[in-house]
Amino acid sequence: MSQNVAVKSKRSLYVTVAILTLIPFVGLAVVPLYVRTNPEIGGLPFFYWYQLLWLFLAAALFGTAAILFNKYGGE
Amino acid sequence: MLALSGILVWVILLLIFIFLGFYGRRWKKGDMSKLDEWALGGRKFSAVIVWFLVGADLYTAYTFIAIPSSVFSIGAIYYYAVPYVAVTFGIAMWAMPKLWKVSKEKGYITASDFIKSNFNSRNLAILVAIVGIVAELPYIGLQIVGMLSVLTVMLSGIANVHVVVDIALIISFIILAVFTYFSGLRGATLTAIFKDAIILTSVALVIIIALLTIGFTKSFATLPTKYYHILPLQVNAYWSLFLMSALALYLYPHAVTGSLSAKSPKSLRLSQSFLPLYGVGLALLALFGILVYGDHAALTFLKDTYVASSRGTYVVPALIFYTLPAPLTGFAFLGIFIGGLVPASIMAMSQSNLFTRNIVRELYPKLSPMREAVIAKVAMIIFLFIAVGFVFVFPLSYSVQLQLLGGIIILQTLPSLFLGLVTKKLNKYSLMTGLLVGLGLGIYWMEVANHFKTWTTTLLPINSSVGSLFIGFLALSANLIIVLIGSLIALPFSKK
Repeated sequence: MSQNVAVKSKRSLYVTVAILTLIPFVGLAVVPLYVRTNPEIGGLPFFYWYQLLWLFLAAALFGTAAILFNKYGGE
Repeated sequence: MLALSGILVWVILLLIFIFLGFYGRRWKKGDMSKLDEWALGGRKFSAVIVWFLVGADLYTAYTFIAIPSSVFSIGAIYYYAVPYVAVTFGIAMWAMPKLWKVSKEKGYITASDFIKSNFNSRNLAILVAIVGIVAELPYIGLQIVGMLSVLTVMLSGIANVHVVVDIALIISFIILAVFTYFSGLRGATLTAIFKDAIILTSVALVIIIALLTIGFTKSFATLPTKYYHILPLQVNAYWSLFLMSALALYLYPHAVTGSLSAKSPKSLRLSQSFLPLYGVGLALLALFGILVYGDHAALTFLKDTYVASSRGTYVVPALIFYTLPAPLTGFAFLGIFIGGLVPASIMAMSQSNLFTRNIVRELYPKLSPMREAVIAKVAMIIFLFIAVGFVFVFPLSYSVQLQLLGGIIILQTLPSLFLGLVTKKLNKYSLMTGLLVGLGLGIYWMEVANHFKTWTTTLLPINSSVGSLFIGFLALSANLIIVLIGSLIALPFSKK
């Protein structure tokens, strides 16, 4: 029974880290959605700052996935 | 020419850099007559050090020169480098710790070591090693292009500037070769941290001053639409460029070297996951290609001094020169200069590892570990100077194409390495055929896309509804189809 719980929590860990890893790919793969100028920030078109923002989001999401996996997923 | 105070700062920092390069030998001391001590720093770098070391592979002349140069001359499509560095670490954080584990266990130092035993094929391993060595050449060439451009701007106006620049470059490479010979990856890593501290400070200074004095509104004002964002017909070119670049980065031998130097799979994973932050500097540098349009003095200098085809190469040095006071310009220029040197040393080391481990050793299996290390060190020097020669015969303009060409080549090893980390069931002959066909088609499509003239683009026009696609994507697709179909056919015949 306890083994069953362990298998189940392992699976939910894998699903969680997979989703966290994939989000930035999806956010940047939807190219036509960010091919636009407005809204601008300080004169910088949307196209540029949207992708710049993803660098921070990707680090946060990948970092969370790495910490979770390192802590609960073995090596 | 840069004022004397700037040159002085540049020289003093270069001396510190050389000192660190030699001092590296004593840092985390190990037996340098062994290849994995010299080439992998003894596999004991922490997450923070690996973060810097692999980041150093990212902050190269590609970032300082090639990308801003292309954004300046071609437009927003070359901002693809930003989504590329945002996602590439999502691949690395899962693939590389896996490679690390088998490598530590079996004493591997290259990807070819792994491929040889995974697919039980010496020939496939040798083929992948050769491809890795060749793919690094244009990448090192790009570093040298960057170093030349910063020297040229720094010394512009003096007599015989090209001769002086060439001599300065060759002297720097001799010094680099000597300290890499003695210090190996330890020297490269220490200097990488020094270099990154300078670069990050410089980028921050220039961007703050440029935003206060120029601003984006003024810079964009005179530019056509293709600078505001990519055009609808460039969407397919854009995703194929960034996704393929993201897949290619960790196939490069130097990225494998950096990853294997980590002390554990966990510290490696952690360091990779936070590397997208490193890309913020890259994104800001790419924007220099736009900001320079708002700086009248820098733009006039570029237009008066350089012909249109090579002008882009000088964008970042010129913007720094006209934005920062002389001492800080010297500071930033040194950062860009060693920003080419450090990666060049890591790349030449990874080439020499492949050459020694996977080619020489296959031919002379009885090689002693000590002799293996000596051959690797000598080979490193030879590879560095092959790259220098490569640049003197290759045209300097369109430098980003050098890196993309390396990408098309190295991508063809993806099935052997990345798919190999997941399965052993792929057929080795299919892998070899796929790799060779991918290379052949890649080169053929390069010729077609450039109308059999000088290579200036890596995008192949498809039709009016698709637009263009990155040739690396097309060649890898052909390669993968061959590998998968070949392996399916071979499956019933395999003995296991």
